[in-house]
Amino acid sequence: MKKTRWVKGIACTAALSLVLAGCGGNANSGDSAESSAKGSAKEVKITLLNSKSEIQTQLEEAAKTFHQDHPDITLEIMAAPNGTSPFEKASTLYASGNPPTMMMLDTADVEKFKDRILDLSGEKWNADAVENATSYTTYDGKNYGFPFSIEGYGFIYNKKVLDQAVGGTFDPSTVQTTADLEKLFKQIEASGKKALIISPMDWSLGAHFLPLAYAGQSKDMAEVDKFIESLKAGSVDLAQNKVFNGLMDTFDIMMKYNIDQKSPLSGAYERGGEMLGKGEVGLWFQGNWAWPQIQSFDTTSGAYAFLPVPISNNPSDYGNQEISSAVSKRIVIDKEESTPEQQEAAKAFLNWIVYEQNGQDFLVNKASIIPAFKNITLPAADPLGKSIQDYIAKGKSEPSMSLMPADHWSVVGASMQKYLSGAGDRAALAKEIGDYWKNLK
Amino acid sequence: MNTEKGRWSRLRGGLLFTGPTLFCFLTVMIVPFFYGLYLTFTNWDGISTTQSLVGFDNYLGVFKDAVFWKSFGLTLKYVLFTVILVNAVAFLLAFGLTRGMKGQNIFRAGFFVPNLVGGIVLGLIWQFIFSQVLVYIGTKTGIPFLEASWLSEPGKAFWSLVLVTVWQYAGYMMVIYIAGLMSVPNDILEAASIDGANGWTKLGRITLPLMVPSFVVCIFLTLQRGFMVYDVNLSLTKGGPFKSTEMVSMHVYGKAFLSRDYGLGQAEALVLFLLVTVITLLQVYFSKKLEVEA
Repeated sequence: MKKTRWVKGIACTAALSLVLAGCGGNANSGDSAESSAKGSAKEVKITLLNSKSEIQTQLEEAAKTFHQDHPDITLEIMAAPNGTSPFEKASTLYASGNPPTMMMLDTADVEKFKDRILDLSGEKWNADAVENATSYTTYDGKNYGFPFSIEGYGFIYNKKVLDQAVGGTFDPSTVQTTADLEKLFKQIEASGKKALIISPMDWSLGAHFLPLAYAGQSKDMAEVDKFIESLKAGSVDLAQNKVFNGLMDTFDIMMKYNIDQKSPLSGAYERGGEMLGKGEVGLWFQGNWAWPQIQSFDTTSGAYAFLPVPISNNPSDYGNQEISSAVSKRIVIDKEESTPEQQEAAKAFLNWIVYEQNGQDFLVNKASIIPAFKNITLPAADPLGKSIQDYIAKGKSEPSMSLMPADHWSVVGASMQKYLSGAGDRAALAKEIGDYWKNLK
Repeated sequence: MNTEKGRWSRLRGGLLFTGPTLFCFLTVMIVPFFYGLYLTFTNWDGISTTQSLVGFDNYLGVFKDAVFWKSFGLTLKYVLFTVILVNAVAFLLAFGLTRGMKGQNIFRAGFFVPNLVGGIVLGLIWQFIFSQVLVYIGTKTGIPFLEASWLSEPGKAFWSLVLVTVWQYAGYMMVIYIAGLMSVPNDILEAASIDGANGWTKLGRITLPLMVPSFVVCIFLTLQRGFMVYDVNLSLTKGGPFKSTEMVSMHVYGKAFLSRDYGLGQAEALVLFLLVTVITLLQVYFSKKLEVEA
C-alpha cells in the first residue's frame, strides 16, 4: 500500500515537472543565452532577422567573416520566410518572448517597434549616412534605425534589345515623355521583339508603380505629405488629378505593349527576369533587387540600366527624368530581451558594415547593395545598382514613398490588378484608391 | 476525517491522470481564448507596449467592414460546393471500393494520399499545374479554356480552389464512409435480398439510413474545414486575382497582421468562431435526428 503511494507521488511529480519544463523552455531561453554569454568571459551570441531573402547566403557568409574579425562575437542569421512581411515575423518573435538581437525591418515598421528597440542616435555612422537616410526613423530627435540599403526602381531595359530597335546605340535621354516611350515600344515591336513585360504582383503595382502618382505631385516632400493628407480627408479627386492620370496614361500604353497582354495576371515575378535577360522583351518595370533574377538569364553580359516612368508629355515635368529611390531596409536593435553585451555586439556589427573593409566588401560586392553611407566609396557591383547611383549622383532621383500604411500595397495593388486585367476602368480604380485612403483609420 | 482523506486521494488520483492534459488545455486553449477576448476590446496593433480599451468599437468595426462580409459570403459559397462535392465524391469512391474489386486496397491508399501532403505544398503543386502545365498543354493543342492560367480569372480561380479541396479531402472522407459501409450488418442486407429488394432499394432503405452517423461526421468535418480554409487558399491563389478568392480566414489574418489592427482582427475571428459554431451545431443537431438503429 505504502509502495503504491510512493510510486504515485513520483509519477505525479515527474509528469508535472515534464509539463513545466516543456512550457518553460521558451521563456527561459533568453536567460540561458545570458548565462552562456557570462560563462566564457566575453563570448557573445547575437542573432539577426533577415528580411531580404535574396541575400540570405551572402549574409550567412558575412556572419562567418565577421566572426573572424571579431572572434568573441557569434552572429546567427535568421530568415524571414519569403512572402511574409518582416513585421509579421518580428511581432510573432516578440510575442513568444524570444526576439532576435537585430531585425531588418521596412522603414514604416520602425515606428511601431520604437518602445522595444534601442536608440541609436549616439552611433558614429549617423554622421556618415546619406542625406535624409535617418529622417524617417527619427522620433523625438532620437534615431532608432540603421539605414541598410538604398533601392530604386523604374523601367529596367536590356541595352542589346534597345540598340537593335533604334538601329544604333540607344540613348536613354531620348525617352522623357509618354509619347517618347510609346515610340520606343513601337520601335522594339518593329524589330521583332516584344516591348515590355508587366509583372502583376500586388506589391509591385501597389507599392511601387502607383506611389509614383503620389511622389510625382511635387518636388517638395511637404507638398506630397499634404497631398496624402488630402487623400485621407477625401478632399482630392484622383480621377481629376493630373499626375495620376498622366501615370495611368503611361500604364495604358504599357498594357497595350505587354507581352502577357492575353492573360496579364498569370505572370510570375521570375518570368520578368527571364524574359528581360533572354532579350525577349526590351523593358521590365522593377527595381535593382531584381538583379539576381536577370543575371541568371543574362545574354547581354550585363548591359542593363534604368529608364524613368514618364507621367506627361512635357519633358520638364517633375518625375519624367527622375528615378524613384529611397533607403529601404532598416536594422534595429532589440532592447527588451537582449543583454547589454549583446547590444554592444550588435552595434559592433553595424559599425563593421560601415567602417571595416570586409564589411563594406560584403555590403557592396557580395550582397550587391547600394550603401546609404557617404564614406563607402566602392562602386555598386551590378549594372542596376550602378545605374541608380548614377541617377542619384546627377540629382535625378525622386524619393520613394516609404511610409505607406501597412496594407496599402495589398489593397490598392488588388485594385491595380483589376485595372490591369481589364475588369475595372480608370474611374473605378480612382474611386477604389480614394475609398482606401478615406477609410483608413 | 476518513472521508476527507479519501476525497484528497481521489483528487490526487484524478489529477495524476487528467492534470497534465488539463494543464495543457488550460494554457494553450482557455487562457489564450480569454486573452484574445480581452484584446478585442483594445486597439492593440500587435507590437506596441501600450494599448487602450476601446469598448465595443472593434465589434462595430466588424459590421462596418464590408470586405469581411464579402469574403464571408464567398466562404459560404465555397463551403456549399466543397461540402456537397467532397461528400458526393467520397461516398462514390467508398461505394465503388467496397464492391470487392481487384486491388481495391491500393486504390483506397491512392485516394487517401493527397491528405498526407500538407496544404501549403499541395497548393504550390497545383499552382504549378494550373499556371504552367495546363497553360502549356492549352497553348500547344489550342484548347481555348486552357490557354490562360485559371488562377488569373476570378471565376476559374474559385473553381480551382474547389477542385483542389475536393481532391484533397475526398480520400479522407472516403475512409470514414468505407468504415460506415462495412459496418452495415450483412444479415439485414441478405434478409432484404431474400425478401426481393433490389440494389437501389437496399441502398436507399437500408445502407444509407444506417450510415447517417458517417454522414454526420463527414459533413461536420468538411463544413468546419471549409470555413477555416487558409493554407490552400494562401498557396494556390494568395486570395487573388485582385482579392476575388480571399476567404474569410485569410481576411481575418490580414486584418490582424497586415493592416496591423490586432483588435479588429481578433474581433472578426471571434465573430467567425461564433458563426461557424452555430452553423456546425445546427448541422449536427438536425442530422443526428435522422439516425436510426439497426
